[in-house]
Amino acid sequence: MLRMVLPTGRIIKEAEIFLTRAGYAPAENLAATRKLLVPSKCGRLEYLLVKPVDAPLYVEQGVAECGISGKDVLMELAPDLLEPLDLGFAKCRMAVAGRPAIVRSLDNTLSPVRVASKFPRVARLHFEKRGIPSVVFKLSGSVEIGAVLGLAHYIVDIVETGTTLRENGLVVHEEIAACSARLVVNRAAFYTQNEVVNNLMADLRKALP
Amino acid sequence: MANAKDLTFPPGAELVFGPQAQRRGYVNEAIARVFAGWGFSEIILPTFDARNSDDPDAYTMIDREGRNLALRADFTEIAAKALAIELRRDARTIRACYEGRVYRFQPSGHGARVEQSQRGLEWVNVRGAIYDAATILIARECLDALGLDKAVTVICHAAFVNAALGEKGRADRALHEAIDHKNPARILELARRRGFDAKSAELLAQLPRLCGGPEVLQQAGALAQNTEARTALDELADIVKLLEAAGGLKRGVLIDLGEVRQFNYYSGMMFRIYNPEVGDDLGGGGRYDRLFDRYGMDVPAVGLGLDIARVTEALPRKDMNGEQKPVVVTPRDGLAAALKARALGKTVVLEGQ
Repeated sequence: MLRMVLPTGRIIKEAEIFLTRAGYAPAENLAATRKLLVPSKCGRLEYLLVKPVDAPLYVEQGVAECGISGKDVLMELAPDLLEPLDLGFAKCRMAVAGRPAIVRSLDNTLSPVRVASKFPRVARLHFEKRGIPSVVFKLSGSVEIGAVLGLAHYIVDIVETGTTLRENGLVVHEEIAACSARLVVNRAAFYTQNEVVNNLMADLRKALP
Repeated sequence: MANAKDLTFPPGAELVFGPQAQRRGYVNEAIARVFAGWGFSEIILPTFDARNSDDPDAYTMIDREGRNLALRADFTEIAAKALAIELRRDARTIRACYEGRVYRFQPSGHGARVEQSQRGLEWVNVRGAIYDAATILIARECLDALGLDKAVTVICHAAFVNAALGEKGRADRALHEAIDHKNPARILELARRRGFDAKSAELLAQLPRLCGGPEVLQQAGALAQNTEARTALDELADIVKLLEAAGGLKRGVLIDLGEVRQFNYYSGMMFRIYNPEVGDDLGGGGRYDRLFDRYGMDVPAVGLGLDIARVTEALPRKDMNGEQKPVVVTPRDGLAAALKARALGKTVVLEGQ
């Protein structure tokens, strides 16, 4: 039996539908249960339910052989994992957003841009790659307000429909990456349980949207 | 105690004491015995050297005379330099084994150790598949000696991936990462964006699937586009044949042609060893025929290194051999009692008042 980490939060419902379609229906309703370990009805998987941002760590450390994680979280944490399958659900974009016209201070024309984000590493690397000096503030939520009230020139965040941005008068300036739910696999488990992992991947591939 | 903070070490430092340290000793000795059994002799290498690369993960320092130094980040490079000196004196086949720590920066939050204890060997001036196969079998013998019979050896080839990547793919970090993550969709997307022709892009996207038993070599043969790739596959086929004849294929051997995590000096076959219950590899090795080029020498070589901490982690918990009960001697019993017990070969513990 393999253990699979699932992130609670916005992905869980879609994950449950997907896993059921692939023949790995959980024994309990994942969105409703308060248990942290739930077996699949077929008995081939055991689901471990954790916060999205913690999911990759469990797989990286080998506590779980595999897991589902949003690409946004993987980009931020950069865990040392295999990422063999794009599961195609929970789609969104990692993007740089801000007010339509960014006004920077003229007191110091070399001043770094200020960036607010729940994804500080992604934000820092992105501006580094562009050769733009930046100061990144780590926020835990309501990132948009950072740009609205001028805490930051830009925000780096995931954008699904863009409604929240529009309602706050913000626009997408640049797309960093397309995100979606990914299957991640521990490196050692991939080799030591190669056949079992391959079978799981084949089943999941058949259920892709 | 002045300050509790004084009692911490930086993340990644390695501290071991108690039964675990004893187990480490047991692992170290078992591996050393196997290496000695294959005729390897110990080489003692410096922990630091002049800083001569821009390796961002090396720990560097400057001494009081202004020398730029770097802590040993890898054994093979420092061993090659030492053995180049020896080869210049007397060119021959050298079997050298080492033990000690390497130091590499690790991003925090992943629990990885900066200090890693390794035991390994360098087999210098040897050419041919038989030496590659023997190196893999030596590694297996070490694990067998420790009872790790569930370990899986994963074999790959540096030249095959390099041939697939071609000139323009070799320095492409994003493409490397996608191959490393075994993410075919991303590989295909990047290969197309970088302007690879359809056939090369298809081969790259197939790399994650070229993992399994010896049949993988035939599958890859159908995809191989140039002599470099075909030579690599032939070399692997020869090694596999030798392993098979030695009975080493029956258990836990996989071929993974999509492996790209490698030190840049590997030129031929490479291998890594994995064990259930340990999240990362226990060690590995490979062939590096071009490493001595930098010293103006044409010296083919193979090597292997095992991570002592991870091998210890893989060890079944109960398996501690020959623990004899110590004889407890108190100062009242006197030193003579302790010496008498020692003379009988007993373990003596002198303690108390």
